[in-house]
Amino acid sequence: MEETINPTRQAVHRYFWEFGVSICAYVVVIALSRNYYNDVPIQCKALLALLPVIPVGFVFAAIVRFILSTDELQRRIIVNSLALAGGATALLAITYGLLEGDILPPPSAWWTYVTFMASWLIAGLCVRRHYQ
Amino acid sequence: MKNHLRVLRAEFNLSQAELADRVGVARQTIIALEAGKYAPSLPLAFKLSMVFDKPVEAVFIPESSDSSDG
Repeated sequence: MEETINPTRQAVHRYFWEFGVSICAYVVVIALSRNYYNDVPIQCKALLALLPVIPVGFVFAAIVRFILSTDELQRRIIVNSLALAGGATALLAITYGLLEGDILPPPSAWWTYVTFMASWLIAGLCVRRHYQ
Repeated sequence: MKNHLRVLRAEFNLSQAELADRVGVARQTIIALEAGKYAPSLPLAFKLSMVFDKPVEAVFIPESSDSSDG
């Protein structure tokens, strides 16, 4: 049998490699950022605090590259689950926003991120199940 | 969309993973196709039919009221 290189399998390998390296870089950068935060002048604090955004950008690039290079069904699953997660996050944000103030305290911006990622995970499992 | 992928794959003695490698998709995609849960794009349908050396219409069966493409 003629040996073939499966581009989807290659995309998965590349994604895990790029994602892993980016996450390791994030951990290192955030540790350095927190370690030196109190030692830098006030003008540099914001720059140092934002430094971990750079490896997060590499994580984002790895995800985009994976979506573009995987096969058509996997891409559909990812895009559908992203759309559902975006919708669910928006719905929750609106619901919370309507109650914010007198009833509920203003949430941390991190909650939007956590809600989106949790929704993406749940939506991904549901959409994947639909195609099994 | 219905298809003869499972039968053809058995005739050609190919596993799902081998067929996936031949056409460059994930094994889960072959599983979804065989289960009729996903209708492939035209390029993928042609790739699959070329593996079995058959015309597309001999591999895939179009349905007038098809709603299985997700």
